[in-house]
Amino acid sequence: MLRFALTRALSLALSLLVASVVIFAVIEVIPGDPAAFMLGLNASPEAVAALREQMGLDGTLFTRYLAWFGGMLTGDFGVSYTYKVPVAELVAQRLQVSVPLALYALVLSTVIAIPVGVIAAATRGSVGDYGIMGATQLGIAVPNFWFAMLLVLVFAVTLRWFSAGGFPGWDAGLWVGMKALTLPAVALALPQASILARVMRSALIETLGQDYIRTARAKGLTRRQATVRHALRNALIPVLTIIGLQFSFLLAGAIIIENVFYLPGLGRLIFQGITQRDLIVVESLVMLLVFAVILVTFLVDIAYAAADPRLRRKR
Amino acid sequence: MRVPATLIAGAILSTFFLVVALASFIWTPHDVAALNISDKLQAPSATYWLGTDHFGRDTLSMLMVGARTSLAVAIVAVGIGIVIGVPLGLVAAATRGSLLDEIIMRGNDLVFAFPSLVIAILITAVFGPSAVNAILAIGIFNIPVFARVTRGGALSLWTLDYILAARVAGKGKARISIEHVLPNILNLLIVQGTIQFSLGILAEAALSYIGLGAQPPTPSWGRMLSEAQTMIYSAPRLAMWPGLAIVAMVLGLNLMGDGLRDLTDPRLRRERG
Amino acid sequence: MIRCEDLSVSIHGEAILREVSIDIAPGKVTGLVGESGSGKSMSALAIMGLLPRGAEVSGRVMMGDENLLDTPERRMCDIRGNRIGMIFQEPMTALNPVKTIGDQVAETLIVHGKASRAEAREIAAEKLTRVGLPPDRFPLSRFPHELSGGQRQRVAIATAIALSPELLIADEPTTALDVTTQAQILDLLNELVDELGMSLLLITHDLAVVAGMADHVAVMKEGEIVEAGATEPLFRAMEHPYTKRLFAATAHQPERRPLPPEDPILDLTDVVREYPGPRKGVFGRGDPFRAVNAVSFQLHAGESLGLVGESGCGKSTLTRAILGLDPVQGGEIRAFDHRVGPDFPNALRSGIQVVFQDPYASFNPRWRVERLVAEPFHLMPAPPADRRERVAQVLEDVGLNPDAMDRYIHEFSGGQRQRIAIARALITRPDLIVLDEAVSALDVSIRAQILDLISDLQAEHKLSYIFISHDLSVVRAVTDRVMVMKAGEIVEAGVTQTVFDAPQHPYTRQLIAATPRIPEDWQEAKHA
Repeated sequence: MLRFALTRALSLALSLLVASVVIFAVIEVIPGDPAAFMLGLNASPEAVAALREQMGLDGTLFTRYLAWFGGMLTGDFGVSYTYKVPVAELVAQRLQVSVPLALYALVLSTVIAIPVGVIAAATRGSVGDYGIMGATQLGIAVPNFWFAMLLVLVFAVTLRWFSAGGFPGWDAGLWVGMKALTLPAVALALPQASILARVMRSALIETLGQDYIRTARAKGLTRRQATVRHALRNALIPVLTIIGLQFSFLLAGAIIIENVFYLPGLGRLIFQGITQRDLIVVESLVMLLVFAVILVTFLVDIAYAAADPRLRRKR
Repeated sequence: MRVPATLIAGAILSTFFLVVALASFIWTPHDVAALNISDKLQAPSATYWLGTDHFGRDTLSMLMVGARTSLAVAIVAVGIGIVIGVPLGLVAAATRGSLLDEIIMRGNDLVFAFPSLVIAILITAVFGPSAVNAILAIGIFNIPVFARVTRGGALSLWTLDYILAARVAGKGKARISIEHVLPNILNLLIVQGTIQFSLGILAEAALSYIGLGAQPPTPSWGRMLSEAQTMIYSAPRLAMWPGLAIVAMVLGLNLMGDGLRDLTDPRLRRERG
Repeated sequence: MIRCEDLSVSIHGEAILREVSIDIAPGKVTGLVGESGSGKSMSALAIMGLLPRGAEVSGRVMMGDENLLDTPERRMCDIRGNRIGMIFQEPMTALNPVKTIGDQVAETLIVHGKASRAEAREIAAEKLTRVGLPPDRFPLSRFPHELSGGQRQRVAIATAIALSPELLIADEPTTALDVTTQAQILDLLNELVDELGMSLLLITHDLAVVAGMADHVAVMKEGEIVEAGATEPLFRAMEHPYTKRLFAATAHQPERRPLPPEDPILDLTDVVREYPGPRKGVFGRGDPFRAVNAVSFQLHAGESLGLVGESGCGKSTLTRAILGLDPVQGGEIRAFDHRVGPDFPNALRSGIQVVFQDPYASFNPRWRVERLVAEPFHLMPAPPADRRERVAQVLEDVGLNPDAMDRYIHEFSGGQRQRIAIARALITRPDLIVLDEAVSALDVSIRAQILDLISDLQAEHKLSYIFISHDLSVVRAVTDRVMVMKAGEIVEAGVTQTVFDAPQHPYTRQLIAATPRIPEDWQEAKHA
C-alpha cells in the first residue's frame, strides 16, 4: 500500500513538472515579450522596461522558469500587475469562497446522487426508475450557468428567498455565507449529480449481475442484504473515479458560476486577469487549478486502492 | 431488432437542429446583423415570432444562426478528438506495455489535468478570445477522451483469437488495427462521439457565455444568454429561448447516444432475444 | 431429502425444464449429467429458488413436507446456506473480490444468526482448515485474488458447508479447474459427504466424473430427464439411446490410418521463451518470467504429436513461438529448414496454420465467412484468382455447404464455427496445423464429430498435427506421440500408447491417475 502510494506520488510530481513547463511555455514564451503584451500597444518603452525588470524577463528562459516554479513551490506567486498586491494574498482571499463552493457542490451532488442511483438500480425497470432516468437525462442537458439564471429568476427575483448574487464574507456569519453560496452550489451540483446518479445506477446493476452476488444469495442473504453487503462496495469503486473527475469539472464550472453570481472567487480572479491581461495572475492561477486537479486524481487513486484490495499489491 | 424509443426521439431532435442550422445559411426571418433600435425588446408577434432583443434583433433568427455556431464548434472539436485521439489509442493498444504506450497514456493523464475551460483560459490569455480558440480548447480536451476509449476497447479485442488468427495470416499490427480492431470498436466510438458532441455544445455555450468563445457579431447561444442576463429583470423571456435550445439539442444528442449504446451493446441485445 | 416432482420452468414463455422429477436421497451423491443447454443448472436454481427474473415455474420441490416453490422468500433465505448450500462453476468470480475469505465464510454463520462475529470467525477458521486452507498458511485476512482457482473453490465449499447443510448442490464445480485440482476437489466433496452425512447434487457434463462419484444418476437432455437410476446398473445397461450416444461420444476413438514416417518438418532445440517482467515506473522492469524452458522436439510429416499439460504450463506460449508470432530468447525453432520467428517468410508461414479453442472469439463478427476463411491468402504474394472456388472447396472438405461463405459467423453453432476455423487453417494447403485446445469448448457429441473430421483430413491432405490439450483422453485417442509439459518444461515424451500405459515421470502418473474414467468392466456389456 505504501509502495503504491509512493509510486503514485512520484507520478504526481512528474505530472506537475510537465504541466508547469506547458503553462510556462504558453504564457511566457509564445507571446514573445510578455511585458509588452501585458501593457498593450500604447505602452511607453520605459513602462515596458520597468515591467520587464519586475518580472525578471532579462534572464534566460531556464532561469526564469526556475525562478517562477521555485516561487510557486515556496508560496511566492509574484505580484499582480493590476492589483499591485502579491498574487498569493489574492489567492488566499479568493480561496475562502471557491473552496467552500466546490466542496458544498460536491457534497450536495454526492448526497443526492448516490441514494437516487441506488434506488433506480434496485427498482430497475419500474416507473420510478424511468422517472429518475428521465430527470437525470434532463439534468445533464441543462447548462449550469443557465440553470443558475433560472434559480436567480425564481428564488431571488420572484420569491426573494436568496439574494441574486454577491458574497457578504464569512465575517457576516457562517449561516449568511452558506446562504449566499447555496444557489451557486445547487447550480453547480445539478448536472454533476445527474451524471453521478446514472453512473451509480449502472455500476450497481452491473455488480448485481456478478457471480458473487449469486453466491451470497445461495448463502441465504436476502436481496437487500446482498445488495448492501456485497454489491454496493464494489459498485462504489467506479463511482469514486467519477467523483474525482467531477472535481475538475466543479473547479471549471465554478469559474463560470462565480461570474453569474458575482462571487469574489478564484474564477472571477482568473477572468479579471484575462480581461486586464494580467499574465502574472493568470499563469499562477492556472498552475494552481492544474495542481488541484492532479492532487485530487492522486487522492482518488489512493482511495481506489483502499477500496479495492486487488490494486494494493500490484505495481 | 427493436429500435429503442430513445434513439428515435434523439435522432428527431438532433436532426431538427441540424436542419435549422443548415436552413440559416439560405434563409432567416430577419437579418441578424441589422440593428433595429426602434424595434427593441418587442414581445413575440407576427413579424418577430419570438420577439426581439435590446438591439431590435430578431430572436428566432439569432437562434437559427446560433445553432450553426454551436454545431460547427462541436463538430470540429469532436473531429479533432477523433482524428488525433483514435490513432493514438490504437497505437497504444497495439504496443501495449511498451514505452510508447506508457508515454501516450501519461500524456493523456496530463491533458486530463487541464479541463477544457482551463485550456481555453490559457489560449485566450495569449491569443485573445475567438470561436477558433474555443474549438481548439474543446478539441484538445477531446483527444485523451477518444484515446482512452479507443485503447480500452482495442485492448479487449487484442486478446481475442481472431486477432491471433490474423497474425498467423501474416498481417502486421497496423493492418490488424485497421481491419479488425477499428471496425469492432466503431460502435463504442460512435456512442462516445455523441456524448462528446453534446459536451462540446455545452462547453461552447459556456465559453461564449463568459466571453471566451465566438465574438460579436457572430450570434451564439451562450452570448445571447450573457446579454440576456443583464436584462433578466425586465425581459426574462430573452433568457429562456437560448437556454431551451441548448437543453433540447443536448438532450437530443444524449438520447441518441443512449439509444445507440442500447442498440449495439451485445449484452442488452442478448437480453432482448 | 429433496424430491422434485414434475418441475417445469419456462423463461419468457420458452420452456427450459419439462416435468423434471428427481429424487435426492439423504446422505447420497446424486449426479445430474447433460450437455450444455440441457437445463441442469436451471434445475439447481429452481430448487434454490434463485431462478432469474421472468421465470415461471410449476410442479413441486418437496423438502420434507414443505414445497419449496410455495415457500415465502423470507423462509427460503433461512433455508439457503443453512439447510441447502450451493457452489458454482467459476471460482474466479464466485467470491466477492473486496472481502476477505474469512469474512465470506463467517458471513454464512452470521446472516443465519448461528454465531456471534467472534465465534463465526473461529468456525470459519475451522471450516477453512477442513477444506485444506489452514489459517497458518492461508490467514483469514487473505483476499480471493491472492488464491488460485482451486483454492478459491475450496473457500466457496467452506462457505457452503459452514452450517453443515443437509444438501450441497455443486454446479460443475470442477469444470474450470485443472485435472489434478479437479481430483482433489472431488475427493474433498466425497469426504465431506461422508463426514457430514449430507446429500450432494453433483451437476456436470462429464460422465466419467459422475461414474466415479455418484450413487444415483439422472441424464438430462433438452430440459427432460431421459434416464435415471443407480449409477452402476445405469452405466451397464444404458437403456436410453441418448445415454448410449453420450457415452459413445465420451469414449470416442476416431479411426486413424497411421501414415508412414517421413522427414521432420519442425525441429525445436532448447527453445526458451521469456516474458519481460511487469513494468515498474516509466523505465524499470521486474524480473523476466520464463514460460518455456529448454524445449526440444521434432515433428515428422504426417505425424500427430500431442502436447498435454495443465493451465499455465506454457503450452500456449510454445504455440505462439512455433507459429512465429513471438521471438524466442534461446534455442531455435526450424520449420521447412528455415528459422522460425517474427521474420519467418510468409511463403513458408502459410505451411503452418492454427485452430484455436474458443469458437466464439475466433472470428471477426463483421466479416462474411468467405473473407474469414480466405484471410490466410494474405500470406501469398497475390491472392489466387479462384479464391471463391478455393473457399468453397475447403468448406466442403470440412463438411459444410459452400453457401455458408456468404453468411456471417453469428449464424453458425459452436461446432460449425470450429469447422470454419479448420477450413481457414486448410485454405493455404499447409503441412502442419496446430490444434490449440481445438475441441475443448465443445460438447462431447460435437467433439466426437470434429475429432473424426480432423482424422479424415489428416489422411486426405497428409497433414501433421500438434494437438494441444489438457484433456488426456482426447490426446490419447488422436495422437501418435505425446509430450507432457509442466512449468515450461517437457517432463516426458514418447509414443502415446507407451506413455499412457507405462508413465515414467511422477507428474505424468499423477495426471493419469487424476483423470476420471468410467470403470472398464461397466463397459463390457455394450462392446459384446
